[in-house]
Amino acid sequence: MTYLRRLPKFAYAGPTTLSEVTALVADTAPGEILLLAGGTDAILQMRRRERTPKTVVGLKGVAGLDGIAEESDGGLTIGATATLAALAASPLVRRRFGLLAEAVLQIGGVELRNVATIGGNVAGALPCADLPPALMTLGAKVKLAGPKGARWVALDEFFPEFSRTAAQPNEILAAIGLPKPAPGSAGTYLKFHDRHSMDMTVVGVAAFVTWDAKKKAVAEVRLAYANSAPTVMRARQAEAVLKGQAPSDDALAACAEEACKETKPRTSWRANGAYRLELIRALTKRAIRRACEKAQARPGDAP
Amino acid sequence: MTKPLVPVTLMVNGERYDVSIPPWRTLLEVLRETLNLTGTKRSCGEGQCGTCTVLIDGKAVNSCLYLAIEAQGKAIQTIEGPAAGDPVVERIQHAFANKGAIQCGFCTPGMIIATKSLLQDNPKPSEDEIREALVGHLCRCTGYVQIVEAIQDAAGALAAKEGA
Ligand SMILES: Cc1cc2nc3c(=O)[nH]c(=O)nc-3n(C[C@H](O)[C@H](O)[C@H](O)COP(=O)(O)OP(=O)(O)OC[C@H]3O[C@@H](n4cnc5c(N)ncnc54)[C@H](O)[C@@H]3O)c2cc1C
Repeated sequence: MTYLRRLPKFAYAGPTTLSEVTALVADTAPGEILLLAGGTDAILQMRRRERTPKTVVGLKGVAGLDGIAEESDGGLTIGATATLAALAASPLVRRRFGLLAEAVLQIGGVELRNVATIGGNVAGALPCADLPPALMTLGAKVKLAGPKGARWVALDEFFPEFSRTAAQPNEILAAIGLPKPAPGSAGTYLKFHDRHSMDMTVVGVAAFVTWDAKKKAVAEVRLAYANSAPTVMRARQAEAVLKGQAPSDDALAACAEEACKETKPRTSWRANGAYRLELIRALTKRAIRRACEKAQARPGDAP
Repeated sequence: MTKPLVPVTLMVNGERYDVSIPPWRTLLEVLRETLNLTGTKRSCGEGQCGTCTVLIDGKAVNSCLYLAIEAQGKAIQTIEGPAAGDPVVERIQHAFANKGAIQCGFCTPGMIIATKSLLQDNPKPSEDEIREALVGHLCRCTGYVQIVEAIQDAAGALAAKEGA
C-alpha cells in the first residue's frame, strides 16, 4: 500500500531568489537537500523512500526562474522552472522551435504539464526523459548556477552516466539556452510507447536536419535518443554517415545501422534489447524522413 | 517527536483557511483530512489516474503531487466549488448526471474539474480534444463514451448561455 504512504519528514525552504537557492545548496552533504521544481518525479521518489532529504528547497517561488525569452542573436533562453504547459503555449517556442513543442506535448497529460518543468526533466538525468533528445539536437546548452557564479555546459556533455549530471553538488540548473536554428532546418521527435498517452518512452528518437535545397541533400543532421542507452545520447557516427548525402533509402538504412551500433538499449519488462534495436532502426529512418519533409516545406526561410 | 507544524493559509473555493500542518503534507491530504473537503479523491497517488485533480490559479493539477505549503497564496478550487457558487461546474455536473457519465462516481470529481479547465481554455472542443484533455483521467466503469458526450453537452449548453 505504498500509495497511501505519507511523504517522509522534511523541513521546507521556499527561497525567492536564485542566490538564496545557491546559498541553501552550498556546503550541504549529498542527499541532504532536495530541489523541488514541479515535483512530479521528486515527490514520487520521496514517497518510495528513494530520497529522504533533510530539507526540501522549493523552486516554484523563485522569481524570474521561469522566463522564456528570445535573445538578440535569435536564440532562446528558457528558465529552469518554465512549465511544460508554458512551453507548449509559447508562440515563440511553437513558431521557432517546433521540435521542442512537439516533444513537450508527448509528455503526460494536462495536469502533469501544468506543473512539470523543463529543468526537472533535464536535471533528473533519466534515460527515458523526452526533452533531452529534442534539446540536444537543437544544440542546447545548460546554465549551471553555483556559489561562484554561472557557467554553461553543452547538453551533449551533461549526462556522464545514468541518473547523474555534470553539475557539481553545489550547482543548480538555472536555464537552458538554444541557438537560433539555421535557415531551412527542422526536426521531429518520435516517441514509441505502448499506450496512446501517459506512458513511459520505450525508445525516443529526435532528428534535426538542415536541408540543402540546391543539392537536395542533408547539409547537417543531429540525432539523439531516449531510452537507448544508460543516458540520453547523441549518435554522432550515425550523423556522420548521412551528412552531405541525399536521404535515399540506402543512405537512411546505412545511417540507421550505424545508430544501432552506437546505442546500447537495455532489456526490461517493457521491451527487450533486440526489440528496442528494431525500434531504433525504424524510428531513425522515419524521423529523418519527417524532418527532411518539414525542412523542405520551409525552404530558405529565416525561421 | 513533536511535529514541526508550519502555519499555512489556503484559499479554497474563495474561503480562507488558516491551518498548521507538517511541511511534508500534500495538498490532497490537507484538503481531505484537515479541511474535510473529501470531494477530491485519492486513488493512485502517482499522477496517473486524475481523481485528485483540483484547480490551482485556474490550472488543473494533481493534488497528490503538490505540497500544500506550495499552494499558499494561490486560488484553489475543488469539486466543492458549486457550494461557493460556480455555475460552470454546476452545469458540467448536470451534464454528467443527465448523460449517464457517472457510474461508481469515484473519478467524477476529477473529470468535472478537468472539464472546467478544458472549457475555459477551449469552449468548443472537438471529440479528439476532449479525449486528449482526459488522458490523465481513468474511469473503470463507463468506457468514456458517455463522459465525452457529457462534456460535449456541457460545452453546448454553456456556449448557448454565453450567446443568450
Ligand atoms: C504520470 C506521469 C507521467 C510522466 N510522463 C513523462 C513522459 O512522458 N516523459 C517524460 O520525460 N517524463 C515524464 N514524467 C516524469 C516527469 O514528470 C518529468 O520528467 C518532469 O518534467 C519533471 O519535472 P519536475 O519539475 O516535476 O521535476 P521534479 O520532480 O521537481 O525534479 C526532478 C529531479 O530534478 C531535480 N531538479 C529539478 N529542478 C532542478 C534544477 N533547476 N536544478 C537542479 N536539479 C533540479 C530534482 O531535485 C529531482 O531530482 C512523468 C511523470 C508522471 C508522474
